[in-house]
Amino acid sequence: EIPGAPGAPLDVKCLDANKDYVIVSWKQPAVDGGNPILGYFIDRCEVGTTHWTQCNESPVKFARFPVTGLIEGRSYIFRVRAVNKAGVSLPSRVSEPVAALDPSDRARLRSHPSAPWTGQIIVTEEEPAEGVVPGPPTDLQVIEATKNYVVLSWKPPGQRGHEGIMYFVEKCVAGTEDWQRVNTEIPVKSPRFAVFDLAEGKSYCFRVRCCNSAGIGEPSEATEATVVDDKLDVPKAPGR
Amino acid sequence: SPDDGPEMVPGAKAFTVSAGKHAKFRCYVTGKPKPEIIWQKDGEPLTPGRRHLIYEDREGYFILKVLYCKPQDQGLYVCTASNTAGQTLSAVQLQVKEHRLQF
Repeated sequence: EIPGAPGAPLDVKCLDANKDYVIVSWKQPAVDGGNPILGYFIDRCEVGTTHWTQCNESPVKFARFPVTGLIEGRSYIFRVRAVNKAGVSLPSRVSEPVAALDPSDRARLRSHPSAPWTGQIIVTEEEPAEGVVPGPPTDLQVIEATKNYVVLSWKPPGQRGHEGIMYFVEKCVAGTEDWQRVNTEIPVKSPRFAVFDLAEGKSYCFRVRCCNSAGIGEPSEATEATVVDDKLDVPKAPGR
Repeated sequence: SPDDGPEMVPGAKAFTVSAGKHAKFRCYVTGKPKPEIIWQKDGEPLTPGRRHLIYEDREGYFILKVLYCKPQDQGLYVCTASNTAGQTLSAVQLQVKEHRLQF
């Protein structure tokens, strides 16, 4: 550090990036060393290398600089040094890496699909005694009901085994005992669930079961019957 | 642990569990968009039920758990992953060892 030189510039960012240039911006250092800042030097480094290159020959005054001469598709980090008549500051902290790519190419690369890959299946044996099947959830409630969906909420059970529990939601047309699992494939992790695909004009009851790796538990108490019709599609009063 | 016995399907390792114990199948899957997973036994899809748990664990592995294994749980288990870019599978052979009391 040179006595009388400025502090390091702050908050180096890339404002805009494409394949031809990256616009780097920064904030002036907190201390100027007692001498006015004459300008800045911008350095770049290709990610994966340790070679820093100075981008501008003479200091720039404006706190924003377009860096050119980048190789398309490569990623770079940037840092900035401030200059006054006493000398050059220490370099700033480096920017986040940015790729020299047009925005459309960046989006395409990001969303480019890749075919699945499956690893070797490993089978392990577990002692049944280790797992405790969770008990039923409690306080199951319909917290929102419209003609398009019903939102249920409940509390986790007391008896839950060692691990995280997940839930299966079941529905049934009121008056029947024909319970159908709503989320057939994947148990839900949070203690609330929105049920869609309800037939307008029908009346439904709901119940929830817990599961963990030890098994699926007994169902909760069923809700009161909820009639699916237009009258439900009324917004709640504010504050409720 | 992997069995040294003959493999019944080329490329499918064999594992043995004891009757009455749980068998946990663990498979890591990658792909974009996130693949859909189907577990099958001897060509038949497995659905979640009292003895079959199907879930994704916290580390991102896809898990099939067969509870209280019986001799009829023996067979070829296949995990098929598919997305818009393609499909692939991994297979494993499960053997269930029965305990016979000796007098």
